[in-house]
Amino acid sequence: MRTIIVEKKSSKGIVMGNVYLVEKQDLKPRQDMINEDQIELEVASYDKAVAKAVSELEVLAKDNEIFAAHVELAKDIALYEGVVNRIRNEKQNAEIALRNTEEEYCAIFDMMDDEYMRERSADLKDICNRFMRILKGLEERDFSGIREKVILVAEDLAPSDTAKLNLNYVLGFITKLGGVTSHVSIMARSLGLPALVGVSEILDEVKGNEFVILDANEGRIYIDPSDDFVAEFKLKADEFARKQKELEEASHLPAVTTDGRKVKVCANVGSVEDVKNMLKFSPDGIGLFRSEFLYMENTHFPTEEEQFEAYKEAAVLCGKEVIIRTLDIGGDKELSYYDFEAEENPFLGFRAIRISLELVDVFKAQLRALLRASAFGDVRIMYPMIISMEELTRANEILEICKKELAAEGKAFNENIKVGMMIETPASVIQAEEFAKHVDFFSIGTNDLTQYMLVVDRGNKKISKLYDTFHPAVLKCIKRVIDAGHAQNIEVGMCGEFAADDKGTGLLLGMGLDEFSVSAGSIPEVKDKIRKSSYNEAKAVADRIGDAYTIDEVMKLL
Amino acid sequence: MVSQKIKVINKSGLHLRPAGELTKIAGKCLSDITLVKGEKRVNPKSVLILMSAGIMCGDEIIVECDGPTEEEDLKTIVAAIESGLGE
Repeated sequence: MRTIIVEKKSSKGIVMGNVYLVEKQDLKPRQDMINEDQIELEVASYDKAVAKAVSELEVLAKDNEIFAAHVELAKDIALYEGVVNRIRNEKQNAEIALRNTEEEYCAIFDMMDDEYMRERSADLKDICNRFMRILKGLEERDFSGIREKVILVAEDLAPSDTAKLNLNYVLGFITKLGGVTSHVSIMARSLGLPALVGVSEILDEVKGNEFVILDANEGRIYIDPSDDFVAEFKLKADEFARKQKELEEASHLPAVTTDGRKVKVCANVGSVEDVKNMLKFSPDGIGLFRSEFLYMENTHFPTEEEQFEAYKEAAVLCGKEVIIRTLDIGGDKELSYYDFEAEENPFLGFRAIRISLELVDVFKAQLRALLRASAFGDVRIMYPMIISMEELTRANEILEICKKELAAEGKAFNENIKVGMMIETPASVIQAEEFAKHVDFFSIGTNDLTQYMLVVDRGNKKISKLYDTFHPAVLKCIKRVIDAGHAQNIEVGMCGEFAADDKGTGLLLGMGLDEFSVSAGSIPEVKDKIRKSSYNEAKAVADRIGDAYTIDEVMKLL
Repeated sequence: MVSQKIKVINKSGLHLRPAGELTKIAGKCLSDITLVKGEKRVNPKSVLILMSAGIMCGDEIIVECDGPTEEEDLKTIVAAIESGLGE
């Protein structure tokens, strides 16, 4: 047995089966030079190749919009002129002229800073290979030889290849080239098939029809494994498949512990699109709707009307509680249409609620939109980055003004809309007992809280080891906030990936957290974890952790 | 010649699909069109050249139109970019 270890993991899953090696067609250009008389012949044959490629692509474009863009590329005037000029002026044959032109443009794409743009050179190569194949009189590659379920191994697979593939016969993909945003990766993820890409040695290591195990969870490829190994691995693969299925099927069940404590598992979303996508995971609501996207993807501060439409749609789609955080911009998030003055310490600077309280008109447009949306569902307002009672009071004063205005205008809204705050600053932790008397809910933001509590810049690689939410000081903050909220009978949630952390979930459950808000894809796992836990046992562990003085001690107890 | 400054709003910039869309629209304009990004000047009638300019979200570019229908063409191109090119 040979083993290949792969770093880039593109799409999860474990499969085993025979390799179907996608043979490369020989698309090397012929090397002869042409003479004066042959110029027009070469140009004519190139014209014919382009026409044929365009008509092939137009057929493909009917089922797949990516080919509509390929049609444009195939007809591209710069590409065409590049090739024809080389034929006419440099007496290159059409094949060499094509390859040289392709290389010229690919080099430009390959030099770009942006990974997405770099991978677009693959689109160009795909089209040029189509031209070349037609110039050489070769037929389109087909996969009609595949008659059983196989693991497809190729140098790379272009959209034009996969369009012809009968996906019922594909167990998974391994390609020599490509990255996590390449065509194969995106396709595999959307189909839920495992894939490993950028496996540079794969074509040297594996032959057609050889049996392999593709473990895309761990990033391993086992070639020609022993029977014992296969039997053992089958158990692992079955276990994984069973677990995935079970998790997804069980996701609609409520998150209740074995001893009957029910908590909410909600989704963090950043757009109306996210709201649509999260529905299949049956969340108990939206624990964090980041309103920033409305501002960041815009050319102006979004109007009340624009925001109202978005919030209303989210509330209606979700049908449960929707906590919308008011604008949290600044720090590392900027707006193209507003000039944030350069700051020495942007994370300690003009951001979030500080901006809202300064740009009152912008804040009012958002609050009015939120209030109006509350007539259509359980919309709740959450203020970010609060450090003082004055800020909370001021924000609520502006909210009251908005309510009065809307009432005077005869516009519908929920008079008793729930208003809460993020707990993400040390000041808000220290004063949590007082804040709890003035809000309807807390939501702990662990990313910022950890960063501010430990004074560690979470983006600084040199000190990234110091950034650890399991630091006893951070855990004490979380516990204190939960207790402070419960003393006033308000719900305490968390909207940070710590709530979905393998060990974090259980610990927070034991501390008494009421609502776990995580990215939609994590919901099945978090719910599963909670359903398998006993609240009383989790509580006993959480209590013991209160006495831990170091991160090591904390980890030992978990 | 007429020109106008505009900000690109497409999330991943003028990559394949929106660039193709713009190329189609530019192809129907009679004037010579140039997009200027910093030092780079590109002809949006070629999707390849347009993509090679690496125009990203938030980039400010200048649209120049030169020809008999320049006023109209400028409006068409600017409106197309502002609309997000079908994204």
